[in-house]
Amino acid sequence: MIMVDIKNKIKIVMSAVFDVPVEEITEISSSDTIESWDSLKHLNLILALEEEFDISIPDEEVGNLFNYKLIELVVNECRK
Amino acid sequence: MDNLKYSEILQKNRIMFKDVNGKPYKVKVLSNITVNSIKELLEYILHINQINPIVELGNYDNILQDSAKCIDDDLVIVFYNLQNNIDNMSYFFEDINDELYNTIKDKICHEISMVFDNLSTSPSVIFNLFSSIEFVSSYCQKSKIELLVTDLNEYLNKIKPMNVHLVDVEKITAIIGVNHSIDLRLYHSSKAPYTLAFLKKYVTSIESILLRNNGKLKKAIIFDCDNTLWKGTLGEDGSDNIDMSKTSHNGKIFNKIQQIAVFLSKRGILIGLCSKNNEHDVSEIILNHPDMFLKNNFITIKKINWEDKATNLKSISAELNIGLDSIVFVDDSSFEINLIKDQLPEVLTLQVPKEIYEYPNNLLKIVYKYFNLVVNQDDYSKIEMYQQQFVRDEFKSKFDTIEDYLSSLSISLTIHKDDPSYIPRIAQLTQKTNQFNLTTKRYVENQILKFIQSENDYVFAISVEDKFGENGLTGLCIINRNLQNLKNVIIDTFLMSCRIIGRNIEFAFMDYIFDWLINQNIETVNAEFHLTKKNEQVNSFYEKLGFNVESSDIESKQYTIQLKDYVKKQIQYIDVKMKRNEQN
Repeated sequence: MIMVDIKNKIKIVMSAVFDVPVEEITEISSSDTIESWDSLKHLNLILALEEEFDISIPDEEVGNLFNYKLIELVVNECRK
Repeated sequence: MDNLKYSEILQKNRIMFKDVNGKPYKVKVLSNITVNSIKELLEYILHINQINPIVELGNYDNILQDSAKCIDDDLVIVFYNLQNNIDNMSYFFEDINDELYNTIKDKICHEISMVFDNLSTSPSVIFNLFSSIEFVSSYCQKSKIELLVTDLNEYLNKIKPMNVHLVDVEKITAIIGVNHSIDLRLYHSSKAPYTLAFLKKYVTSIESILLRNNGKLKKAIIFDCDNTLWKGTLGEDGSDNIDMSKTSHNGKIFNKIQQIAVFLSKRGILIGLCSKNNEHDVSEIILNHPDMFLKNNFITIKKINWEDKATNLKSISAELNIGLDSIVFVDDSSFEINLIKDQLPEVLTLQVPKEIYEYPNNLLKIVYKYFNLVVNQDDYSKIEMYQQQFVRDEFKSKFDTIEDYLSSLSISLTIHKDDPSYIPRIAQLTQKTNQFNLTTKRYVENQILKFIQSENDYVFAISVEDKFGENGLTGLCIINRNLQNLKNVIIDTFLMSCRIIGRNIEFAFMDYIFDWLINQNIETVNAEFHLTKKNEQVNSFYEKLGFNVESSDIESKQYTIQLKDYVKKQIQYIDVKMKRNEQN
């Protein structure tokens, strides 16, 4: 999978979980910019990302992934 | 659902939210763990079955308190997870003594019984059986937790009220594996032990309950013959070379299929044949082939001809008076299956698999998901009743006027008022009756019980008999007293099974009810007609009875009538009896 695909997929997943249009998900999106991003939605996001990329995000990272940049970083890390 | 990703399910939900309308079906999920992703999965499964969902989650670890607040929910699902209970204890569970074990067990049992009490008025409750599978550390010894699970499940089975379904979640874990069902990492961080894979499977596994509660079960299954009920092609191989023998390699599969069909027939499911063959050849096989298990007395309808199968299924639907969406069709040919999928998408199809050894299991999966397999007395004789209907129809053509014909039938009605022994059949009538149904309110057994027990609600059911035989319990009227105005009642439900339509039974039934109401000093009756896709034929039923329309919109009409103005229909040729177990 090339980098652009991964970026797009992350955005699609975030858009689906948080119920916001995919165009509104950007590199600077975070729990501060997305209103519906609460702790329960966060759990759904983790599950959806793991399923999408067939990865398992380490326990210690789960609580940190509160912005797009970190998500992209960890997803790439886990895919290695 | 298994092959869709969670994010895809979310996206599909957004689209379907706009497409699926109708009366909302309210589901509440109570749990002592985090299962919040189940919300979207439940919404999805309800959407694809054309049910408009409202799914809400209770508060975290608040089952008991939340269970008291589920007053207007149609379905309550309870996730009571033992792991969380055990982990919250201050001691190591395996190390406790018998006394403490019993105290803990009793406490949980007590809590469950309070939850069931709180939910006793809910139409439908799903409670998951306890599972110890995630706790198993030894194959040779039984741990205390496993013991507790066994004890609690025994208790659940013992006290299970009528409105509760127990779901065996260990079967799900067995299919997808413990490691794919339980995620200790997310349990540890968020008290969310179940994986998406588990929750998806779980939701699929309760689909049958959702369908049943919403009156979406199937009523008939129609089989092709060649390579569907027997191995081989009758027209080419000849009657000696088709195989459905219990003892042959391939024959035994087909024998099993026939046994399943007989099993269904005994439970009131209508069985039909639809095959391109010479009618005489097939009749000959059914009558005389020594291995044929599915005999004529289990078969309600046959279309053995050279017409296309879409036409045949349409006429089966018309003759049996059931919707196409109530039919399952089984055939080995991709051509026929695709034709039906294309022409009659409402019909559920099953193609005989190439891997023939999977055929019985594939059929059974559909059977358990889409058919009501609760046996009730009436179902046993249903095929006979449909067969009598065909005799009746033939008899009918001999008479000049319909009235002549009806008077010759010696129809008699028996009225059963508030009789609890008919609860399963009454609930089934509300779930299955689509055409002659004025309000199409679906009820489960528990709700019928409530109506019967309540002093302010009356449940009248009728059974019908004529010279050709019994039709069983086939008509229903539920009446609620208006608590604001004791001289007024409201007809909540009025329905007749399609088996007895067209004989003016509804008028004789209504005459009886109105007489009874007058005796109770009731002066006015309110009623409602609610339009659905299938009940157009009763659109002006209340007008015919002399009701006045109070208000109306596209979907419904509200009526009222003064009982003193009601003109009795006086159907002379119908005899009405009251079953003598009435208390008031």
